[in-house]
Amino acid sequence: MNPESPSTIYLDNNATTAVAPEVLEAMLPFLTTEYFNPSSVYERAKPAAQAVRRARETVAAFLGGAALEEVLFTSCATESVNATLHGAVRANPGRRHLVTTAVEHPAVYEVAKDLARGGFDVEFLPVDRAGRCDPRTLARALRPGETLLVAVMHANNETGVVFPVADLARLTKETDPSILFFTDATQTAGKVPLDMNGALREVDLLAFSGHKLYAPKGVGVLFARRGARLRPFLVGGHQESGRRAGTENVPYIAGLARACRLAQEDHDAVEARIRRLRDRLETGLRAAIPFVEVNGEGAERLPNTLNLSAHFIEGEGMLYELNDHGICASSGSACTSGSLEPSHVLRAMRVPFTAMHGSIRFSLGRYNTEAEIERVIEVFPGIVASLRRLSPYWDPAQNRPRPEAEAMMHAPPDAVG
Amino acid sequence: MGWDYSEKTKQLFMDAVHGKPGTHMGEIEDPDGFGEHGSIACGDALRFTFRVRRHPTDPLQDVITEARYLTFGCTSAIAASEALCRLIEEGGFTPVQALGVTNADIVKYLDGLPEQKIHCSVMGAEALEAAVFNWATKRGADLGALGLGAHADEKEDGRIVCNCFTLSEPYIKRKIRELGLKTIPEITGAIKAGGACMSCHHVPGGLQDLLDEAWGRRPTRLRAEPDAPAPREGGTETPVPVSPFLFSKKVERTIDEYIRPLLQRDGGDLELVDIKDMLVYCRLTGACAGCGGAGFTMKLTVEQVLKDTIDPRIRVISV
Repeated sequence: MNPESPSTIYLDNNATTAVAPEVLEAMLPFLTTEYFNPSSVYERAKPAAQAVRRARETVAAFLGGAALEEVLFTSCATESVNATLHGAVRANPGRRHLVTTAVEHPAVYEVAKDLARGGFDVEFLPVDRAGRCDPRTLARALRPGETLLVAVMHANNETGVVFPVADLARLTKETDPSILFFTDATQTAGKVPLDMNGALREVDLLAFSGHKLYAPKGVGVLFARRGARLRPFLVGGHQESGRRAGTENVPYIAGLARACRLAQEDHDAVEARIRRLRDRLETGLRAAIPFVEVNGEGAERLPNTLNLSAHFIEGEGMLYELNDHGICASSGSACTSGSLEPSHVLRAMRVPFTAMHGSIRFSLGRYNTEAEIERVIEVFPGIVASLRRLSPYWDPAQNRPRPEAEAMMHAPPDAVG
Repeated sequence: MGWDYSEKTKQLFMDAVHGKPGTHMGEIEDPDGFGEHGSIACGDALRFTFRVRRHPTDPLQDVITEARYLTFGCTSAIAASEALCRLIEEGGFTPVQALGVTNADIVKYLDGLPEQKIHCSVMGAEALEAAVFNWATKRGADLGALGLGAHADEKEDGRIVCNCFTLSEPYIKRKIRELGLKTIPEITGAIKAGGACMSCHHVPGGLQDLLDEAWGRRPTRLRAEPDAPAPREGGTETPVPVSPFLFSKKVERTIDEYIRPLLQRDGGDLELVDIKDMLVYCRLTGACAGCGGAGFTMKLTVEQVLKDTIDPRIRVISV
């Protein structure tokens, strides 16, 4: 790490967030003196049971006044998703058709692909160049009497593009009220109101995790509307009314509830500040870097996310140089994923292949400062320039692509092997 | 960072991006040897050029004095390019001797590479080879006489096995032998084949077959047979009195004759999105799209007219 900038600038809040001090404080009693199992009958276990009950009340209120039995605590959003998809499949054996989008988080995307391998009929709705889903594609995909479930994320983790889930859920329910509508709200919980009795009243199932809203990793929520038929995913105990077995993770559940309250306490002020910083970052970087694209531009986006693509360079090198300045971000490039393919989200958006490998995501959080954003604006253009100097497609003298490379910029991604 | 790079790899990358003296970023103008490997669509690409001190009479005694690269790729691709140039210059090789530099030498120079990143070193060796053949053409050196054949055509020729990275059967077969690749992950790590959609792994003529052909079939091979998809449930919906075709025609005609004119009076219009049984999916456009009364228009105008003229069971859904 560069000795001049020893402190960390954390701009990867869509991957995970720091644990808020208020959250840690709410957890500590249950990691120390109140360690009891909430299912135990003796008096000393009462505070633990009470903490879980209060947490459920808090989360139910956070979800716009959901009923207590509609809130299940899980270990993470991925568990909530698996419980939903597999639970719905097992509870409704007569329906074998599933609709989701081409840009879901792997927690949904991979489960859907796995179900397809098992003989399920799965449709992946396309998105447009800005990452938006056209409701008409859902209208055409739905099969009354046949479709089991529709899964559309609330906002995309890579681009921050927000999906019109309220409208898509209504469309689904008007087509056939027996079709379950599920949304992965991992990126929106704490950022966008989740009103299960208001805008999201047609949404049957919703998942989110704690560690994207300043609670620790290892706790999640599944909202399952009364009447939504699911078979339990984890079996082996009476907890959560027999719908999710396993001793309640009391400290983390208490922490998650505190995080939900924290998100509501100062939501508007925090959001306004984050949006201002993100917009400043976006304008600053666009002004300083030629041949750069904002992925998701033109769509409604979360106020904290900026996904950029710099043409003709590769994202991993950028991350590496940023790391040297103590700046944490992420990339959808092939070299940073486990596979050799760039992000399925950017591919579905048909990002030009000259920009596909050069994506970088900055995701802001409540603890970022103006000085940090200014530092990134100061440092990042130089990083892009240093990698472009090495690129066979770039002409450093003109500071633009070589003519033959520039001609490739507008080819659709599937035009080349 | 996800990948564990050696200190040497990190150092070469940082030196290269900061343009430290002694690094080899760049392109030699009018080079004696020019070679490329990879493409931007595949995620990494390398252009390698070198200059020689020409021997007055015998081109085979030319000595490489300068090597340069331009690389589009990740940390290890850039470090491997830098390592390649250093190996070549430090060696004082003739181009033919330089062909002896293999990807294993690059890996060794970097103090190792993660398995998934071996292809970065292979890319260096391939670009070097292409550059040496380019030099031979320019200088009239007969490599064939030395028993060195060019592989230039094999990527275009022959059946494509890996469609994602456009890699042909002769190329993959040669690399399996040259690099001693024994498993599919090793193939993917070295030359990327099978690293994206993975559909070429276990199909006839796929990667596993090429491995079996090279090294002999392993005695036991488990093959998963995917479950046959279950037959669809029989339809339980109420039958439509007319055929779906005629029903659609009726809906279209009614919209055109009765509904559109009403909406167009107010500067709006209607798009028919889909019809499923008795469900008619419509979208209001023009002035109607943002109108506060859009919901009422759908139910009271569009749905009511369709119900009255065609079938009372029709439901209109706004998209």
